[in-house]
Amino acid sequence: MSQSLKPYLTAVRSSLTAAICLQDFSSQLVERHNRPEIEVSNTHNPELILNPMIISRNENESILIETSINSIRISIKIKQADEIEQILVHKFTRFLTSRAENFFILRRVPIKGYDISFLITNFHTEQMLKDKLVDFIIEFMEDVDKEISEMKLFLNARARVIAESFLIPFD
Amino acid sequence: MSMGTPAVVMDNGTGLTKLGFAGNDSPSFVFPTAICTSKRRSTNVASKRGLEDLDFYIGDEAIDAAQGSQYSLNYPIKHGQIEDWDQMERFWESSIFKYLRCEPEDHYFLLTEPPLNPPENRESTAEIMFESFNCAGLYIAVQAVLALAASWTSPKVQDRSLSGTVIDSGDGVTHVIPVAEGYVIGAAIKNIPLAGRDITLFIQQLLRDRGESDTSLQSAEKIKQQFCYVCPDIVQEFSRFDQYPQEKFAQYIVEYTDRNKTNTVDVGYERFLAPEIFFNPEICSSDFLTPLPIVVDQVIQASPIDVRKKLYKNIVLSGGSTMFKDFGKRLQRDLKNIVNERVGASEKLSGTKSTGVEVQVISHKKQRNAVWFGGSLLAQTSEFKSYCYTKKDYDEYGPSIVRNFSLFSVP
Amino acid sequence: MLQIEQNNLLIESTLTERIFSNTFKSLDRIVSDFDFTTYHLSSIENKTKILISINLKCWNDLAQYGVTQILSEKYQPFSSVLSTTDAEQGYNYSFILDLESAFDQDQDFKLSLINELSLLKRNSMAAPFCAAFSRYDELFKKYANVNTYSEEVQMELQNEKVIIIKYRGLNESIYLKPSFDRVTIIFSTMFQDETDKIFGKVFLQEFVDARKRSVQTAPQVLYNTEAPLDIANDVKKGEHFVTFVLFPRHLTIGDKRENCISHIQLFRSYFHYHIKCSKAYMHSRMRFRVKEFLKILNRAKPENLDDDGKVIETRKTASGRTFVK
Repeated sequence: MSQSLKPYLTAVRSSLTAAICLQDFSSQLVERHNRPEIEVSNTHNPELILNPMIISRNENESILIETSINSIRISIKIKQADEIEQILVHKFTRFLTSRAENFFILRRVPIKGYDISFLITNFHTEQMLKDKLVDFIIEFMEDVDKEISEMKLFLNARARVIAESFLIPFD
Repeated sequence: MSMGTPAVVMDNGTGLTKLGFAGNDSPSFVFPTAICTSKRRSTNVASKRGLEDLDFYIGDEAIDAAQGSQYSLNYPIKHGQIEDWDQMERFWESSIFKYLRCEPEDHYFLLTEPPLNPPENRESTAEIMFESFNCAGLYIAVQAVLALAASWTSPKVQDRSLSGTVIDSGDGVTHVIPVAEGYVIGAAIKNIPLAGRDITLFIQQLLRDRGESDTSLQSAEKIKQQFCYVCPDIVQEFSRFDQYPQEKFAQYIVEYTDRNKTNTVDVGYERFLAPEIFFNPEICSSDFLTPLPIVVDQVIQASPIDVRKKLYKNIVLSGGSTMFKDFGKRLQRDLKNIVNERVGASEKLSGTKSTGVEVQVISHKKQRNAVWFGGSLLAQTSEFKSYCYTKKDYDEYGPSIVRNFSLFSVP
Repeated sequence: MLQIEQNNLLIESTLTERIFSNTFKSLDRIVSDFDFTTYHLSSIENKTKILISINLKCWNDLAQYGVTQILSEKYQPFSSVLSTTDAEQGYNYSFILDLESAFDQDQDFKLSLINELSLLKRNSMAAPFCAAFSRYDELFKKYANVNTYSEEVQMELQNEKVIIIKYRGLNESIYLKPSFDRVTIIFSTMFQDETDKIFGKVFLQEFVDARKRSVQTAPQVLYNTEAPLDIANDVKKGEHFVTFVLFPRHLTIGDKRENCISHIQLFRSYFHYHIKCSKAYMHSRMRFRVKEFLKILNRAKPENLDDDGKVIETRKTASGRTFVK
């Protein structure tokens, strides 16, 4: 683990642990409705929304945590050094979001400027252990980076083998 | 880009895969839906860097290669549905590039799916076809509907409609599927756990009971294909065998790879008894006892009342296990009896005359690969491409686009 | 499968079945191959003969370089059973295979006949390559004792005619330019998909580097996004250009040259095939990763779930006893 990764993840972990503090909250506008307040676009009552927070490791990697009384939205920007990583991240996140129903907390569409978003509501925290949810986010951040760089390595290695096995038969 | 190239029709079944191009009257390749992958692969996917994922065989080659110790054999489709997507993706890869030799970017594809296939499976299929292979266009058709389309070649069919009952009997299981105007009536589908493999095993059992010299599964399979037929009545058929043994009893000469070895097997009552398990299941199975004609009747009775007449009128056979001589005739007769009885009873109760119900079972020449043939028939029409979703559509709307396909309007 | 096969499997299996079965059955089959190639095999004259027709997108280009002559030479040894005929409607070239006389031939003859027929596309596409290579032979002789660095010679070589094969339409073509010490083969290609484009770049970069790194005897490979100078005048369209420079060692007359022709033809198919294979492999990796992520997420569920999300039935007390339901 590189020098800056550990403090970054520690900061994310403690911020998330503090931020996931949700309670059941009925909509103030529509009777008998209960909706994740963070997703309500016209924030009619600002007291329900807390200040968002951005934790950045560098300009390419950051996490946006937006909290409200009954829901929290976590958006992650994944490292993309070049166009290969860009396309791999794009492919991977699309693959994940198309299976969003299995992931309960995965948002189908990421917030603009980020690659992938999660939405945790009070119903999730009631059914699942909060610490483990934080663990999941942290492990996800670690594994995605690892997976992307492994895929890139694979692509280069494969390209090399393929090129060589095409060129060898000429001689 | 894909103008003029014939569409690719792929019918991946539990047992056999049929591959070919639209416009042909038979599939170019028919082989087991089997794939064998290298065993040396470590369980940790992350450590794979080499070319292990290219080291595999499909179809008959897979079965040959699995004889050795280096490969393990798998069947990625179970009960008609794709279970292992990794293997299926590679199966398609090899089907397209090695067997059909086509660049998927240049061809439209017609794939088949079983009735009641979950939409998620369709999406995964589209994801593979469009993202991995960039295929020009895709249509996923329900197998039963294609089997109906295949029956249009029969002279008995006057109006080319997509309504009818499909009896699809392959190796593993027999389905009875009602289709109305191209839509499968899911709630009324019934499955019969008796099909080709059970017939073969039944023949093998009869051969063993008699103590024949060769009772291998291959011989039983050959006897099934060459000698079996459906008789109108078992009791009469038994007496006919006793009266004319010369005509009825037959001999099967076993073929060996070793030419010097010869063997003959007498073929007797199994000629008509084996297919009889569809009509009298109790002779072979102890847990499933409803004869096929009754199942068909139940299925049609469970369908909406306004389509029942059409379903009775157009009963279409599909799959290898419906190929027995006179199978259609017997089914039609038995089913007619059931229907006439009911019509008679209702006439008696109501006192009015019924207009009658026409029962017609259609068998035709393309029955064995009916699903594939139906696909080939539809995919060669000029409108086919307008029903497909293209790569462009997919990129714009995402995988959920394939949840709905417009139906073929009947020409 | 690492390399793409040269021959067409379906033609091979169809003909093998017909020729070795010694019976006449009706046949009417469309067969496809890479690069918009279509074959039609059909039985004619009471099923005793098979009409074999081929349609290639670039037939007009090939015709300029004597494809008919090359094909008739190639299939000369089989003339006893194979006769050429007027091309079938909608196709470029047709053969008639006489089954009756084919049945009488010996095993080897049959096998090599089937093999050559399954290589029909390769043999047709070989025409312009043969033309370019024999032009190279001429130039090689002509300039053997001339100072090739002189300006006139350079000019002459510069103006050497470029052979163009539009094998997949305008966007994707093959350009051949012979010289006295090399033959330059340029493929223009394009990618329909953004992912393919990026993957393609990675692959092509490795093609370029392969010679420097490990395969010193290989042809030189260059990759540009603009038309190389050699063909700048002839190019109409195209996005990516891959140049293969074949040196005399690759052009040794005989098997080596033949092998070179068959191999380089399949470059595009091979290249795109492997891009697709790597995407398929990426998919299987991602499926694996999704499964792993789900395992981690399922740990957050407080019920006793195992890794696949199934409830573990037996709960135990501290002393190791199990609950009775």
